[in-house]
Amino acid sequence: MAHIPGPPAPTGRRRALVLFVNTVVALIGGGLAAVLGAFTFGSRASASQVRWSRAGTTSDLKPDEPVARVLSVSRADGWYRARARETVFLVWDGDKTIRAMSATCTHLGCQVQWQPKEKKFRCPCHGGVYAADGTVLAGPPPRPLQTIEARLESDSSVLVRL
Amino acid sequence: MKRLFDWLHARTGYRGAVHVMLDEPLPPGTGWFFTLGSVLLALLSIQLLTGAFLTLYYAATPDHAYDSVRFINTFSAGRIVRGLHHYGASFIIIALVAHLLRVIAFGSYKPPREATWLSGLVLLALILGFSLTGYLLPWDQRAYWATVVTINVSKLTPGAGEIVAGILRGGSTIGALTLTRWYGAHVIFLPATLILLIVAHLFLMRRHGISGPVRQREGAPFAFFPSQAARDTTVVLIVTILLVAYAWHGAPPLEGPADPTDATYVPRPEWYFLGLFQLLKYFPGKWEVVGAMVVPGLAAAFLALLPWIDRGPERNPLRRRTVLSAVVLGFISVAVLTSLGWLDTPSSAASPDSWSLREIGGRVYAQKLNCTKCHAETGLADPLEGGPSTRGPEWIAGHIVDPEMIAPGMREPPATIHEREAAAVAAYARRAARDAYPGYPPNIELIAPVWARYCVGCHKIEGDGGTDGPDLTHEGTKHDAATLRRWIEDPEQVDPDADMPAFGDRLSAAQLDAIAQYLASRK
Repeated sequence: MAHIPGPPAPTGRRRALVLFVNTVVALIGGGLAAVLGAFTFGSRASASQVRWSRAGTTSDLKPDEPVARVLSVSRADGWYRARARETVFLVWDGDKTIRAMSATCTHLGCQVQWQPKEKKFRCPCHGGVYAADGTVLAGPPPRPLQTIEARLESDSSVLVRL
Repeated sequence: MKRLFDWLHARTGYRGAVHVMLDEPLPPGTGWFFTLGSVLLALLSIQLLTGAFLTLYYAATPDHAYDSVRFINTFSAGRIVRGLHHYGASFIIIALVAHLLRVIAFGSYKPPREATWLSGLVLLALILGFSLTGYLLPWDQRAYWATVVTINVSKLTPGAGEIVAGILRGGSTIGALTLTRWYGAHVIFLPATLILLIVAHLFLMRRHGISGPVRQREGAPFAFFPSQAARDTTVVLIVTILLVAYAWHGAPPLEGPADPTDATYVPRPEWYFLGLFQLLKYFPGKWEVVGAMVVPGLAAAFLALLPWIDRGPERNPLRRRTVLSAVVLGFISVAVLTSLGWLDTPSSAASPDSWSLREIGGRVYAQKLNCTKCHAETGLADPLEGGPSTRGPEWIAGHIVDPEMIAPGMREPPATIHEREAAAVAAYARRAARDAYPGYPPNIELIAPVWARYCVGCHKIEGDGGTDGPDLTHEGTKHDAATLRRWIEDPEQVDPDADMPAFGDRLSAAQLDAIAQYLASRK
């Protein structure tokens, strides 16, 4: 299609119009990009979802021996409420103190297992070894097993904060 | 920088494309009336973008569609993007009608532009298709029941009613298959067709050139950029500011989740279908097909044939009075029908924002019966307020009556609970899962549990309650507070033949006073 040149507009006016059009297009485009960017990244739930869950009673536990408990915790996943299963090790001193550790290896996230004979945790994936208190003894894990807040109720039930 | 663009031009020739796009020659006198197409293009682009992004959070299944839309409403960018998309749909309808009327008034459909006109009409139909399919996606009461009406209207199609309805429905009832089908249409089939047709429409517009002012003016054609582009941009800017203001103002409506068993819901379509909605009321029974199919069909046929009805080269609207009067008459009819439909709001429908007395009463019981001991922000169970619930009504009812049975591991002994208290707590749990408690004055919180425990068995307020006794929604117009108090205390003392039991010994004086005053205030 041939371009038919119009009467040449005064350069000042033309320049102002070009500036106006470009500014508005940039404003609308930029505003839209900002809102859509915020929309894409800005949905993470701000409130902490951690809460106390029941993990059995001391009658399920042996003094000074880590016992694995599989807990089902409710997690809000956007609009979806999923029940996640998490394994925690409970260590009870036989009296009033209870400690809890995550069973997730700090190396690559496999689930560690308690070896009662050796009194050690072993990770089946890459040979990580942890002591009964969760400190790293051997292998690739960079950190001790993650501790989880736990408390003992007066009626001897165990609560952990997950 | 310039060298980079020079290189890009040498390899792609992009400057030629920019030149073709921006330096479109326009007839002298092309002015503000010719900006409406650009407004539509801008609004459709916003719609396409916001719609594409909304799919990041939307789930097209009956179990999750509502929750996912409500989730979008929980963060501010979500509310704005959904607002832009929701209100944008209405803006498009307005811009579309304005564009259509401009084309008719200027006789722009006359030869050689008949194909441009027809492609525009198909675009109009497609956009109405977008409105219809998009309306279902939030899967709230409004969406569900409007779709019930749409599909029932489609059954009136002469000769093929059940077939058309079956295609629209997907399955045997409106449900999962309808939702996925309409979702697919809304996000894939319709947009793909729309884009192709817009390209065709613009190609035809460029092929024949802009029709320009009604009377040809002297002078040479001028380039689109920047004079006309600046006019387009100005109008687009104003419309965008208005749209953003709407989206900013608040999240678009989202009612309760779709409930096919709710017989009390009064479905109402989006405002631009209110005209059709109203028209149906004038054609009852077997004449319904006239309102649903024949009248809209004739209007569509008239528009499609317009270039052949309104022949001759004359474009001045003042010299095409017959055609223009027909169009103006049609437009006024649509406007009047829409206004009538708008005004014809059912008065009994409770405001969706206010909680029913039963729901408020259920909240009081939930606290009194120790539910909130575990169902708290830091408690052992999920808090009752402010989160979606994945439990169905049966589960909730069972859990309220016997918490231990359905959720083992409870340490609180289950409280004994009256059947109506349980129903109130269930109503509260359903409501609390979707709306925050707005807060009500102490007198309402005092009478709500009384209402939910005793009155609701026989009496109704705003559609909730039993039918053995009279509806008390407007009780204040019949009796004053003193009479009502005496009546509730001992009905036989007012009327020896009264059927209602006495409540004087079951309610405290404060409760009797409060409920009498509350009922007397209902006018």
